[in-house]
Amino acid sequence: MSDSNTEGVEETGAAVAVAEAPEETVDIDVEALENEGDIAADYIEGLLDIADFDGDIDMDVEGDRAMVSVVGATLDELIGEKGEVLEALQELTRLAVHRATGNRSRLMLDIGGFRDSRRKALTKVGAEAAAEVKKTGEVKPLAPMTPFERKVVHDAIAAAGLRSESEGEEPNRYVVVHPVG
Amino acid sequence: MLEEALEHLVKGIVENPDDVQVRARRFRKGKVLEVRVHPDDLGKVIGRNGRTAKSLRTVIGSLAGGRYVRVDLLDLHEVR
Repeated sequence: MSDSNTEGVEETGAAVAVAEAPEETVDIDVEALENEGDIAADYIEGLLDIADFDGDIDMDVEGDRAMVSVVGATLDELIGEKGEVLEALQELTRLAVHRATGNRSRLMLDIGGFRDSRRKALTKVGAEAAAEVKKTGEVKPLAPMTPFERKVVHDAIAAAGLRSESEGEEPNRYVVVHPVG
Repeated sequence: MLEEALEHLVKGIVENPDDVQVRARRFRKGKVLEVRVHPDDLGKVIGRNGRTAKSLRTVIGSLAGGRYVRVDLLDLHEVR
């Protein structure tokens, strides 16, 4: 609501980034991302304490986003059968970061290595769909997926040299694989 | 534990964390958690298309381990 009115918060971080990255192309403000990670880690850690879950929190910056991972212990309640609890927690964590910094966050939350194993499985789905489309030359729609899942599949299809698009409305949005040419 | 978890999750995302109150009420079918927030924060905890409310319910529902828990989001001054 007051998104545009938060320059004060940005300034301190931005000044540092400029000093570190003189070429002004998409400079990634690592310090701001680390700050996002800290806020997110506090938020998640508080929840772990209350729920009496063990688990260590790792923080990292992956490309242009902060990555916070909870590792160790059995954390199924925080993941959910299809990762729906993890998605909900990520959503809340991003809001907590937004509250604290005034900036929208694209922070990625992982719990118990869920995203990693999903990423591997979906890369395979994308590669197999691409192989099939190359063979048949026909457009192929895939099953509905979350934004994270679609991103992984798009990447796998692009890596195979094909084009893909997302169609449909959330939560039933799905990837469509197109043959080249 | 659920009340405390919900309070923590909500306090982290609102502008007026000191105004957040969570009250648990039991009834035959399960539990109702009433969250009261500052009127200015009500939109925030509900979110666009109820997205934030849904996220809160998803997490709390999972922590409740299958027991039925209803989460109500209210303005601090709303009388019940």
